[in-house]
Amino acid sequence: MVSPCLDTREHDIDWQALVLSLQLASVTLLLLLPAGLLLARWLAYTAFKGKYLIEALVVLPLVLPPTVLGYYLLVSLGGASAAGQWLSQHVGVSLAFHFSGLVLASVIFNIPFLVQPIQRAFEAIPANLGEAAAVSGLNAWRIFWRIELPLAWPGVLSAMVLTFVHTLGEFGVVLMMGGSIPGETRTLAISIYDRVQAFDFESADRMALLLLLLSLLAVAASFFATARLGRRR
Amino acid sequence: MNTEQAMELQVDISQTSPMPLRGSFSCAPGQMLALVGPSGAGKTSMLRVLAGLLHPENARVSVGSDIWCDTAQGLHMPPQQRRVGLVFQNYALMPHMNAVDNVALAMLHLPSAQRLQQARDWLQRMGLTPDQQQRLPALLSGGQQQRVALARALARQPRLLLMDEPFSAVDQMSRRSLYGLIADLRRDLHIPIVLVTHDLNEARQLADKLVVMDAGEVLQEGTPAHIYRSPRNARVADLVGIPNRFHGRWLGNRGPHALPEGFAWLEWLPHADAKSGLALMVKDKGRLKTWGQPVTWVIQGDGFQVNPLLTEDATTDNQRLVLQAQVSALRSLGEISLATLALDEPAGTQLQLTLSGTQRHNVQTGQQISVSMDCRWIHVMPVRR
Repeated sequence: MVSPCLDTREHDIDWQALVLSLQLASVTLLLLLPAGLLLARWLAYTAFKGKYLIEALVVLPLVLPPTVLGYYLLVSLGGASAAGQWLSQHVGVSLAFHFSGLVLASVIFNIPFLVQPIQRAFEAIPANLGEAAAVSGLNAWRIFWRIELPLAWPGVLSAMVLTFVHTLGEFGVVLMMGGSIPGETRTLAISIYDRVQAFDFESADRMALLLLLLSLLAVAASFFATARLGRRR
Repeated sequence: MNTEQAMELQVDISQTSPMPLRGSFSCAPGQMLALVGPSGAGKTSMLRVLAGLLHPENARVSVGSDIWCDTAQGLHMPPQQRRVGLVFQNYALMPHMNAVDNVALAMLHLPSAQRLQQARDWLQRMGLTPDQQQRLPALLSGGQQQRVALARALARQPRLLLMDEPFSAVDQMSRRSLYGLIADLRRDLHIPIVLVTHDLNEARQLADKLVVMDAGEVLQEGTPAHIYRSPRNARVADLVGIPNRFHGRWLGNRGPHALPEGFAWLEWLPHADAKSGLALMVKDKGRLKTWGQPVTWVIQGDGFQVNPLLTEDATTDNQRLVLQAQVSALRSLGEISLATLALDEPAGTQLQLTLSGTQRHNVQTGQQISVSMDCRWIHVMPVRR
């Protein structure tokens, strides 16, 4: 029997997985940010019947076990499903066990992490500021760029960091949707899990520490920036 | 159309939801109109309709020949196109922009350098130093923030200036200097200015015209002097705080003796259900027709003269009546005193008088005095049922 420990490369950090995780986090954030901003602003400023249902849907990924979400995505978009077959035939994309599937799953899984802080930030802007801007002649677009976005920026920034870091460390959904294909779907968190399964605690240790430090650094940096922005006021 | 009409604000509103709002008024250029009334009277909503922030059910708002809102024709100009300056109650300055940028925000149609220069000019005119101009709103005092808000409203070169409780959040000293500033502006700008306030003294001091509102309805429009002398009804008298308001019965020409043309008898009742009272001879404006109709009447302080030395039979002259009273309370309010008098007749009736100068030193609590009342200052209103 050959122990995996004999392979010296296995003791090191899985750089490929780290790069993949960073790619996944960046793409997820880029795709989710514009839609999330619009959704958050809409929820913050609009009152309508059934708003609670939409807000509950937004929060759902936060309370649902990631495996449940991953399972539904796999079943509804996997190769055996109608949507999955349509996608592979007409678009040439198969989502299951593929990077694009991970991206989709991450985007959905991160909706509450991005939308909620931004929604709160928009809600915290006094309503009469927008009115004052309108009376001063600013159209809706200028009000958004010059007033709302700068004032909501600390919230937007922390939402972005939260989403990024959360995607870096994502496990359940990724495992269900993507499995553990090196270079395609094996993210850092999955890689750590694999190493532990293989009793390679040495590299699991290193990667876990790396993930911990990266996350801590990002969150601390966002807190620092938010506090600085807050002081300006 | 002459130049005055060309810039006059005209408002006519009627709506029932989301909140009732009804009435019409106008404001000439250079004129300052104060919307007064208790909180919840719809003053701020009225202002928001004028600014275009609120979509009224049925309304017509125009400034000169520009129609800003005409629901009959489906026209509602957004606030961006109205050229209206609005000073919000809590200033609504952008917290992330310094004073200059806040003012420049209202001039985005100009090139950057030009709008910053103009913003600095406006702020200087409002009395902010170059150092204060660079500060964020949070680092300015309430009075200074108010000046920035005013500069921002004026930077748009508005055709109508609106101010919502502009002095409620500033201290007494800044308030007085702001009064002066606004008086100067009013002279220079020559546009209609509409002010919302719940402070009647402020409204009387500053405004040429009052619009009294209650429960969303415009009850009366007129100069402060006119409204205080002739409130349209008891509610208006109540809202503007006319102290001497009494019950009465309209007797027309059926009084103690025949009256010349244009005069009528008013019976002064100690309370609404009283059987009889004191007959007073008042001007007949032809508004009241029914004999014995219950009325409310008011009389301004100008109609009274305190003369503790004079004693005369109260019934001799009905146009100038001399009343006997006891001073039941005397309250000093700085340079004036507020006296409450208990009248001998009609018994149980109280009179509130403001005394100033030597008058106030000749009067003491508990003292018996006589007061002459000039019935020409009496204003009679029908009781609303």
